[in-house]
Amino acid sequence: MAEITLTPTPPLGGLSIEIGANRIVGRSDLALISVAIPTGAESTCAERLKVTYGLDLPEPTVSRHTGDWRIVSMTADQLMLIGLGDGMERLREVGATVGNAGYTTNQTDAWVCVEVSGPDTLSALERICPLDLAELSFPVDGTARTSMEHLGTLIIRLGRERFLLCSASSSAGSFAHAIETSYRNVV
Amino acid sequence: MTQTCRIAGGLTDRERPLSFEWNGRRLGGFSGDTLASALLANGEHLVGRSFKYHRPRGIFSAGSEEPNALVQIGEGAVQEPNIPATTVELTGGITARSQNHRGSLRWDVMAVNDLLGPFLGAGFYYKTFMWPKSFWEKVYEPVIRAAAGLGSLSGLEDPGTYDHGFLHCDVLVVGAGPAGLSAAKIAARAGLRVILADEDFLPGGRLNAESFLVDGQAGAAWAAEQVAELESFDGVRFMRRTTVFGAFDHGIHGALEKRTLETDPAKPRQILWRIYAKRTILAAGATERSMVFAHNDRPGIMQAGAVRSYVNRYGVAPGVQVAVFTNNDDGLRTADDLRSKGLDVTAVLDARHGEIVADTFGRRRLTHIKLKDGRRIPADCLAVSGGWSPTVHLSCHQRGRPVWRDDIAGFVPGGDLPAGMVVCGAANGNVTLGAALESGAETAAAVASDLGKPVTVEMPEVEDEASAASAIFCFQNGGGRAWVDLQNDVTVKDLKIAQSEGFTAVEHMKRYTTLGMATDQGKTANVLGLAVMADLQGQTIAETGTTIFRPPYTPVSIGALAGRSRGAEFRPVRKTPSHTWAAENGAEFVEVGTWLRAQWYKRPGEKGWRDSVDREVRMTRASVGVCDVTTLGKIDIQGRDAATFLNRIYANPFLKVPVGKVRYGLMLREDGVAYDDGTTARLSETHFVMTTTTANAVTVFRNLEFARQCLWPDLDVHLNSVTDAWAQFAVAGPNARALLSRVVDDLDLSNEAFPFMACAECSVFGGTPARLFRISFSGELAYEIAVPSRYGNALMAALMEVGRDMDAIPYGTEALGVMRIEKGHAAGNEINGQTTAHMLGLGRMVSQTKDAIGNRLSQRADMIRDDDLRLMGFRPVDGRDALIAGAHFLAEGDAATMANDQGWMTSVAYSPSLGHAIGLGFLRRGAERIGERIIAHSPVRGGDILVEVCSPHHIDPEGERQRG
Repeated sequence: MAEITLTPTPPLGGLSIEIGANRIVGRSDLALISVAIPTGAESTCAERLKVTYGLDLPEPTVSRHTGDWRIVSMTADQLMLIGLGDGMERLREVGATVGNAGYTTNQTDAWVCVEVSGPDTLSALERICPLDLAELSFPVDGTARTSMEHLGTLIIRLGRERFLLCSASSSAGSFAHAIETSYRNVV
Repeated sequence: MTQTCRIAGGLTDRERPLSFEWNGRRLGGFSGDTLASALLANGEHLVGRSFKYHRPRGIFSAGSEEPNALVQIGEGAVQEPNIPATTVELTGGITARSQNHRGSLRWDVMAVNDLLGPFLGAGFYYKTFMWPKSFWEKVYEPVIRAAAGLGSLSGLEDPGTYDHGFLHCDVLVVGAGPAGLSAAKIAARAGLRVILADEDFLPGGRLNAESFLVDGQAGAAWAAEQVAELESFDGVRFMRRTTVFGAFDHGIHGALEKRTLETDPAKPRQILWRIYAKRTILAAGATERSMVFAHNDRPGIMQAGAVRSYVNRYGVAPGVQVAVFTNNDDGLRTADDLRSKGLDVTAVLDARHGEIVADTFGRRRLTHIKLKDGRRIPADCLAVSGGWSPTVHLSCHQRGRPVWRDDIAGFVPGGDLPAGMVVCGAANGNVTLGAALESGAETAAAVASDLGKPVTVEMPEVEDEASAASAIFCFQNGGGRAWVDLQNDVTVKDLKIAQSEGFTAVEHMKRYTTLGMATDQGKTANVLGLAVMADLQGQTIAETGTTIFRPPYTPVSIGALAGRSRGAEFRPVRKTPSHTWAAENGAEFVEVGTWLRAQWYKRPGEKGWRDSVDREVRMTRASVGVCDVTTLGKIDIQGRDAATFLNRIYANPFLKVPVGKVRYGLMLREDGVAYDDGTTARLSETHFVMTTTTANAVTVFRNLEFARQCLWPDLDVHLNSVTDAWAQFAVAGPNARALLSRVVDDLDLSNEAFPFMACAECSVFGGTPARLFRISFSGELAYEIAVPSRYGNALMAALMEVGRDMDAIPYGTEALGVMRIEKGHAAGNEINGQTTAHMLGLGRMVSQTKDAIGNRLSQRADMIRDDDLRLMGFRPVDGRDALIAGAHFLAEGDAATMANDQGWMTSVAYSPSLGHAIGLGFLRRGAERIGERIIAHSPVRGGDILVEVCSPHHIDPEGERQRG
């Protein structure tokens, strides 16, 4: 048979839009690994993540980051680690780190991540994000699960005017369009 | 462009002249005008025709309460009907025209209705069009509908865009008049996050319209100063042209922001905001009422407050000879303002002193008035003040009921306000300037203190004006029609009819006469109506009571409500991983929920969908076909107790599924009815992957979470939706193994090593991670192969490439459906929320030895009756007949009655494998009736078809192919 290597085509791969001084960038370089903590293994899981990555377990609505990992509390017993790299490789790495103190799932392809930044970002997000994004209410490193234009979204504040927005990969086109439209409506 | 009625002063910018079009004529105005003020400046007093009688109407107010001057704005596709000219900010190039007339505005053919007025009273259409009965739908209703309405839609798609948005604040201040500005300033100084919204483009409210001094300067200048200070606060957002139209639960408010026509056309015309406020200060001011006297609707008769607005704010004289008619002190100030501008005041009539207007004259514009004592006074403008009604609307939006206050002769908000709302200023009955400013500041200070931000109140110096009011509104004694509701043409006579016919409750009177039900929602009419009712019933207004208001305060366009959800953006679209490949290879797509799936792949020469689908079925069954089945729900289930969890979820046993095996499972609801099915693979001792149907993916996940968190929190089980994470393809047909053998790395796919219902984690094409499941929906030797979804498009292309020599084809959802009907697999048509495992022929799967959701109730006697409906197969006796899904089964010769109904056809298809139509359906005692002939009766889609009952497994009933 012919030698075939499958070429990945991540949704929004290569997406890079500038609107005024704002940028919308598809982050297909990120791996998303969820870690579900077995009942009774909370402290072990926390210790292993601390030792290996220097990460403390985050409280709800807050993310923590060190090195290239950012850790987000998704539910009472589940974390999401977001970092650079290939999903499968990083799945193995995280799996080795937490061992039997965490059930890992590669979520990289379940989500599509878009980084938005620029001076009009808050105004643009006002059009699609029902959350209060004032810095007092939603500070840098804040996280929340919400919906934007009917699409479930994980929002993480990376900076004062910089956010990572993650949503289901199958509706990536609609998600990106909603974000872009919001910027175009305000810039 | 003469603007003959323009006078000195006002707040318009005389350095910025603007041109606009009115009924085809070019007229001029200035920046800062409304369309109404510009029309008056040009001497245009006749601006519309009334709703029912088509009487000439002029501008009555200077705000959103306007009942008369409704106009059509824009042209072509960009136009909007029924817009009050008093709310249209004049911009260059604006086009407007009058509405609700046939012929010209001056010569309206429909004005004949005015002559027929005696026959068109309240409820006339309930009584008049009774005979002949057949005329109602064919004659009367079409004629009435054609005559009804005001403006008209363009019939073209609106090219404008609309948007939604979300805002949050500590305090929402509704209204930027004196009380609102005062409140917002105090709240801002307290360090609160404030949103101040006002429907006007110029903040200040009545400060812009009156000649009051505040802190020794003109009120308008003081307002501008306050706005400048407010805008210097980071935490303040000032929203001009924004109407807060509704107060909803939990401090949520709806607000509509309108852009001017000069806004970049690429930007949204209107934005519907959802505002979340911890506290709301309602400072919406008050609306002036008219009074009830004969022919009180002529062009030139307007609110006294509006007259002051046009004179003081816009620099426009609404008349050359102006008479003033008031029942309160406030109205009296109108004469002073007019005289200060050098205008001729021909009479000042105080109803409290018996100085009553008995009638008015002038067809297209007022010419003179007649007093009760018979005197005639020339007047081309009559400034009328019946006192002020606090704008309580938002306070009523959660059923709050206003209460009457005799001292101000008006309704104020009652105690049952929406949570978090307080009311100040004129909206709360503080009708003088000083009282409004003070109540605004003190209300805001109390709110700030309540929110933990105490602040000191400083008050500006003002001199309070006289404000004595009275509740005498009605001076009509049979000497001509007197209007109560100008927009809906409701007169005193109509109220008398309603009263005489027993509609004595306010809610009944409103609905029978349509008082207060027009686009202005009776802002200037309601209290007058109540006053007339009170007179008729010999009681006070307080005893008569009032109707209450519901959202929206002013009309909200459908476009704004829809926002972006139009056309292609009506809802989000989900695409399968192989969407791009499918689109490039002839796929026709179908919406499956929000998914777009390939329905079939058209090849050259195929004339219709059946050609494509039949080919796909034949080629798959002959060799191998590939279908993207990513849309099936996929749930990652991990934990020490995952097997126990699944054993309680599925009706059939799951505790002992071996690692490396897949099991078909049936889920029941608590009531024992089947609701979803699918397969679950065990990848390790603690790791399962469940598939659900596409339709129920979310429901099943939600139910599993409920079970995990609420029913069995002691179990160590964790869930992740991985539907989008994996691209999954069915590979079906006798060559499926051969094809996959070229694809999968280092995995023995022989029947012995990888039998039916096996699964494995593996890799494909030299290292791409994958999962392989040997399961079959088509009945063929089949697998489902999954790769991370970013590889899905490439995998589809690669499967076609390596399968080229074996005629591998892609197939769509139609062929998928045909093959599952041929095989007799139940799908959504059969597992429809009304059927049981027993009916589906899956009764034996329901374990009798374990407890699982729905198992116990599924064993109720009536759910396992042998004479109940059973899933069966059907084929037409005449092989040329097509079958109809939804047809009901009848015994031959039976009448089509409910009593004779024996079941229904759920799914049908033409089977290319068998060469005739086939069907699945539920038939009473079906299992005992194989070979029997019955009628499939479809009264809706026509015809009776004789069918033969057969096994639901139309092909390969023993399952040899899928196990081969």
